Amino acid sequence: MEENQTPKQDSAEQPQRPFRGLYRHVKVSVKTLDRIIIGGIAATVLLVLFGIANNGYTVTFDSRGGTDVPAQELMYGDLVAEPEPPTREGYVFSGWYSDENCRYPWDMETYQVSQSMTLYAAWEEVP
Amino acid sequence: MTKLKDKKPSKLEALKAMSPKDRNRAIGDMLMNNAMFIIIAIAVVGIWIAEPTFLSIPSIVNIINLTAAKLPIALGVGGCIILAGTDISAGRVVGLSACIAAGLQLTTNKLFPGLAVMPVPVAILAVLVTGACVGFVNGFFMAKFKLHPFIVTLSTQLIVYGIILIYMQLGTNSGQTLSGMSEAYRNFVTGKLFTVGNTAVPRYVLYSAIIAVVVWVIWNKTTFGKNMYAVGSNEDAANVSGVNVVKTIIMVFMLAGMLYGLTGFMDAARIASVNANTGLNYESDAIAACVIGGISFVGGIGKVSGAIIGVLLLQLIFVGLNYLSVDQNLLYIVKGMIILVACSIDMRKYLVRK
Repeated sequence: MEENQTPKQDSAEQPQRPFRGLYRHVKVSVKTLDRIIIGGIAATVLLVLFGIANNGYTVTFDSRGGTDVPAQELMYGDLVAEPEPPTREGYVFSGWYSDENCRYPWDMETYQVSQSMTLYAAWEEVP
Repeated sequence: MTKLKDKKPSKLEALKAMSPKDRNRAIGDMLMNNAMFIIIAIAVVGIWIAEPTFLSIPSIVNIINLTAAKLPIALGVGGCIILAGTDISAGRVVGLSACIAAGLQLTTNKLFPGLAVMPVPVAILAVLVTGACVGFVNGFFMAKFKLHPFIVTLSTQLIVYGIILIYMQLGTNSGQTLSGMSEAYRNFVTGKLFTVGNTAVPRYVLYSAIIAVVVWVIWNKTTFGKNMYAVGSNEDAANVSGVNVVKTIIMVFMLAGMLYGLTGFMDAARIASVNANTGLNYESDAIAACVIGGISFVGGIGKVSGAIIGVLLLQLIFVGLNYLSVDQNLLYIVKGMIILVACSIDMRKYLVRK
């Protein structure tokens, strides 16, 4: 619509002072920038909408040598449902932990999910 | 000058006086220049409608806490951006400071076996010195050799990461996560300041506010601050008018380093466990916050309030998307897009300015 502008208005679009700083080599018109901004915003919004459409966090269980435990798809603020305890020959299962060193136990009854994560099984050797 | 200001009509009146074409253009400019704020406002309202607990008191306090925790690093990066530079070593310096602060405060110290828990001021001093040292290296190479800020800070980022990894191997620690810090230290940072409703506001919100005030005074009321803006907007002109450019650049980066150090100091106690990856990618959040808040890559332009608004808006968005259970991996892409769009908007603002 505004493609056929008079030269006078075109000159109004030129930068009135040269760019400085990190932009000093930039040569771009306002119209191009507008397209880039609108395109960028549209892409970001679509990405976020895609994320919202596919929302949910995956809690995976690393049984570390024991029988496999299926992963759970949960929403923010949900509690992890206590899975069937895994078994491992020669060991006794002693709970799920949020870190590999088994220092921080995951309390299934009070802790809420706020991100995708892995819970690690702790094992005690059968004496 | 004052007379001219008195006669200047308000923005609305000026808009009415324009021809329809100019008016459309002015409105278009305004919409485009504030596109990021408009989008974020719409997103916040949208998230609030989908998840009403998003704007409940505990959630708002949480957002303010996160803003306070990320503010010092954003102010540090902001200073570097005002110099028309940037600092991508920021996150790693936060990590190193967090490791050092934690290392001095462990109750059973595996890093330095036998070392008693140090008083809290010693830890603060240690992180300030660490940050200032890295900042000095950054500033020195940038000011003396005119190297590109990205290259210098990329190098220091690598160097600092190496130091973190070696530091974590000290004693009998062998790279494990540091946890179990002294009660005095944890309480100093995360102790209760006051409660809103039933939600406690931690002390580091107060420290962050104090840091913001101090930085505001430095940027606006000291010769150093004025020199910083002068060097940022035109280095040659500043040099001609007698500003010591080299000293100013070095000092800006040292100040930034100290702010990263304080961020690390607060983060170690806030998260209560520190490993070699603490602070990873913090600089990307800080840069995004600064650009959203109007601290421009043009150089010499930016305010403390801009950094605060930028950090707050970014936290609002990401806490909100967390509430909607959006995949964390996707959020990295969103963050990158936000930086690109914010830079385009920033560029547009100074392209049309008369």
